[in-house]
Amino acid sequence: MLTDFSIITQLTLSGALMGLVYTLIAYGFQLTYATSKSINFGQGELVMLSAFFSLSLIDRGLPFAVVVMGGLLFGTALGLVVERTAVRLALEQKNEGWILLTVIFGLLGFSVAENLYGRDDRPFPTPISADAISIFNISITPLEISIALGVLTIMGIIELFKRRTLLGKAFAAVSADRDAAELMGISATRIIMLSYGLSGMVAAMAGMLVAPITTVGPTMAAALILKAFAVAVVAGLNSGMGIILTGLFLGALESLASFYIGSGWREAPGLILLILALALRPNGIFGHAVSRKV
Amino acid sequence: MLRVENIHAGYGSSEVLHGVSLKVEAGKIVALIGANGAGKTTTMRAISGMIKPTQGRIILNNQEVQGYDGAAIARLGLAHSPEGRKVFGPLSVEDNLLLGAYSRLPALFGFRKHAAAELNRIYELFPRLHERKNQVAGTLSGGEQQMLSIGRALMAQPKVMLLDEPSMGLAPVLVQEVFKIIRQLKAAGITLLLVEQFARSALEVADYVYVMEHGKIVLEGLPSEMNKNERVLAAYLG
Repeated sequence: MLTDFSIITQLTLSGALMGLVYTLIAYGFQLTYATSKSINFGQGELVMLSAFFSLSLIDRGLPFAVVVMGGLLFGTALGLVVERTAVRLALEQKNEGWILLTVIFGLLGFSVAENLYGRDDRPFPTPISADAISIFNISITPLEISIALGVLTIMGIIELFKRRTLLGKAFAAVSADRDAAELMGISATRIIMLSYGLSGMVAAMAGMLVAPITTVGPTMAAALILKAFAVAVVAGLNSGMGIILTGLFLGALESLASFYIGSGWREAPGLILLILALALRPNGIFGHAVSRKV
Repeated sequence: MLRVENIHAGYGSSEVLHGVSLKVEAGKIVALIGANGAGKTTTMRAISGMIKPTQGRIILNNQEVQGYDGAAIARLGLAHSPEGRKVFGPLSVEDNLLLGAYSRLPALFGFRKHAAAELNRIYELFPRLHERKNQVAGTLSGGEQQMLSIGRALMAQPKVMLLDEPSMGLAPVLVQEVFKIIRQLKAAGITLLLVEQFARSALEVADYVYVMEHGKIVLEGLPSEMNKNERVLAAYLG
């Protein structure tokens, strides 16, 4: 028999696992923000296009491991394209043109998807089971577990790369002082390009992780991206641990809100959190002030 | 080793350098002195590619490099310890040093092993940095940050090193320390272009001296000549 307590635990857990997807997308924002103080406002379309691309690989009957690798490579390539076409020129000219250009790039991606794949949502078949297993009276699906594992694995690998390799440390150097990094022979342009590639890879991972649950369609990432923004802004654009905690918290909150208040209120906590955060702590709960040099 | 020919450079539409020429021969220390705003730092920035000269040539090791990116010039063997030190504040002292050697180390794995010998040499030169190698650079004192900035530039094993105002903001005892280091580097045969407010100390270590005023070289010669020049005496050594 389900007690109140176990319902709450159940809702919290499955919500929190979903929240890790927001975390992963928010992490993609952090990657590029750290190196270039810019983010891709069309990131949601990257998530969606990568999901469509890996779905088309599944349609061809390719093994799942190949699908995942293909999806990640596709996302990386899209990230590089965004950097080259929408971001680099604006950054070189030290203006904010990347905001509009990345939005436009997203709109373009959206209409490409609509025309190529149609407006219908399509299921994303995966070998990972959606049948719940029960642990201590709490049911959880392998699919949900795969989300958590996928998110933490890719973030873990990228963080290891950033901390343990010299190239990764160069990311931090460009982030700390772009001019000084150039003096060390570090090409800031190349580091920013790489960060956009990684950000695209992360977006593709997020797309493939949620696709089995949300299905794949042109609008699949619309709500997702808004909540990833909320996580990034609430946690701060420079706090890695912050986005994990905020993602878990927001996911759990949503799940509880939609159960106790009504499913129509699902999006409300995220938006309220966003408004509160912007009003009270513009640098994020976990963030620290970034002084902007002009 | 380094030759600057008639460069013009500035920020936006305001030109700061109106035709600067100078020469640094291999193994020599050349000092660039002059009042605040004379264009010394701008000259350094133009040489290392932080700003692009609008006219003139910069020849590093027989190669024209004007118009190159800072990173490309650094990879050709020029290291610049900039004004204000510009250490990577959030990174550890050791990471700062390792990044100094970025262009000659493997990017992914094994870079520590490759850098070990040079790292030890820097730690011998600056024992203080060794003590604090795991400390975050932003928390170092001004003097320590200056040591780190010099050490980081040396990690590149540069053909030519630019050292901008190493004594700025330091207590007199630390200024002496910095010049002791410069003398050690000189003994080791480094090629160095030095910008310095403390003209007297700069003249002591330099092999050749240029004096800048209003974006132009107005005087050049051996330190012994400068010491007798009335204009220099009045303006900088008074």
